[in-house]
Amino acid sequence: MLNMVSLLLISAPVGFLGALTGLGGASILVPLLILLGIPVKEAIASCMVTIIATSSGSASSYVRKGITNVKVAFYLEMFTTVGAIVGATITTVIAPVYLYFFFAGFLITSFFRLKEKVTGDFAVPEYQDKLSRWLDLHGSYFDEAKSKLIEYKVQNALLGGLGMLIAGLAAGMLGIGAGAFKVTVQESILKLPPKVSSTTSNFIIGMTALAGTSIYFFSGLLNLTLMAPMAVGTTLGAVAGGRVLNKLGNRTLRILFYVIVAFLIAQMLYKGVTSV
Amino acid sequence: MNSEHRFDQAIGYVLITGVVISLLVEATGILLYYLSYSHFKISSERTLFIHGKDFFDFVIELFKGDYAGKRAVFLMSVGVVILILTPYIRLLMSVLYFAWEKNTKYIFITLFVLLLLTISLAA
Repeated sequence: MLNMVSLLLISAPVGFLGALTGLGGASILVPLLILLGIPVKEAIASCMVTIIATSSGSASSYVRKGITNVKVAFYLEMFTTVGAIVGATITTVIAPVYLYFFFAGFLITSFFRLKEKVTGDFAVPEYQDKLSRWLDLHGSYFDEAKSKLIEYKVQNALLGGLGMLIAGLAAGMLGIGAGAFKVTVQESILKLPPKVSSTTSNFIIGMTALAGTSIYFFSGLLNLTLMAPMAVGTTLGAVAGGRVLNKLGNRTLRILFYVIVAFLIAQMLYKGVTSV
Repeated sequence: MNSEHRFDQAIGYVLITGVVISLLVEATGILLYYLSYSHFKISSERTLFIHGKDFFDFVIELFKGDYAGKRAVFLMSVGVVILILTPYIRLLMSVLYFAWEKNTKYIFITLFVLLLLTISLAA
């Protein structure tokens, strides 16, 4: 039977897998909690709080190393926080059955990100649109693998902001970080280098989760006996996952990713169909 | 080290400190829960939910409240409160940093998010 200790023990490998595959712990944990009999809205709300821990914990070292672009993060947070507040509000009022389908639908979008990553190659753009330039959205970081300073200029700030509004909406609504979606927007629209993109996304996720949490706090969906073990477990797991990430081959990670996402989509669709 | 880099360092440390303290408090809360009730059950009892109309009021009431015999619930609540306040403090620091830098654009950008979250947490 599920209790706080077993939940902590489940959350740790989930956080580990979430960090490894780039899915994030909550995308796996929400369906898993539902499978274990936790009401969907409570699962979503509790995961939202857990995300603050995993995201802030892992964002910390990249911010200190100067890889995260905090200005880009602050600009994009205007959009993700509005999205998350609207998304979380929708979740508190709609019938639970819709949430299963939205969750499954959103997971399907994470397949596109993978394709992009395999085929995409990063090139530094020369020009910069007016808004991006006005916002001083540019930067540089030292790439340890290439032993050189990488400079970049952000593109399409407005379109990127709108993309982040959708990311925030999905995150607040489904209790997830929507990291894969955020990274896709940042790499393909804003043209951030992959390393800056993933670390900046991690940084933004904490603030987005806070926005969603503010609504769930008001709605009375935050269960301490769920949040406490999950926060401890997923964060420990995510830290461990981050450490072994570079040691695993891309092929292994990709297979792992497909298997997990396919299972999660199937489970949410099944739950949705049987609840209609 | 320039001021921007020092600012990055400072918010990095705030994030990690908040998370570590919060998780230690949560873990202690879980242990105390077992010592108080002799089980680790996940419960949907209303006293185990944190909620309210105003988060800041909730925090003040939490520390004013009488938690004799309910220290486990108190600690788990404090852990979550610290977690919620961690990005909030990061945001407050950012507004102050941009004000000190006299960077008007980013004062407005960070203030917008700060106001939005403050209203959302308080109303």
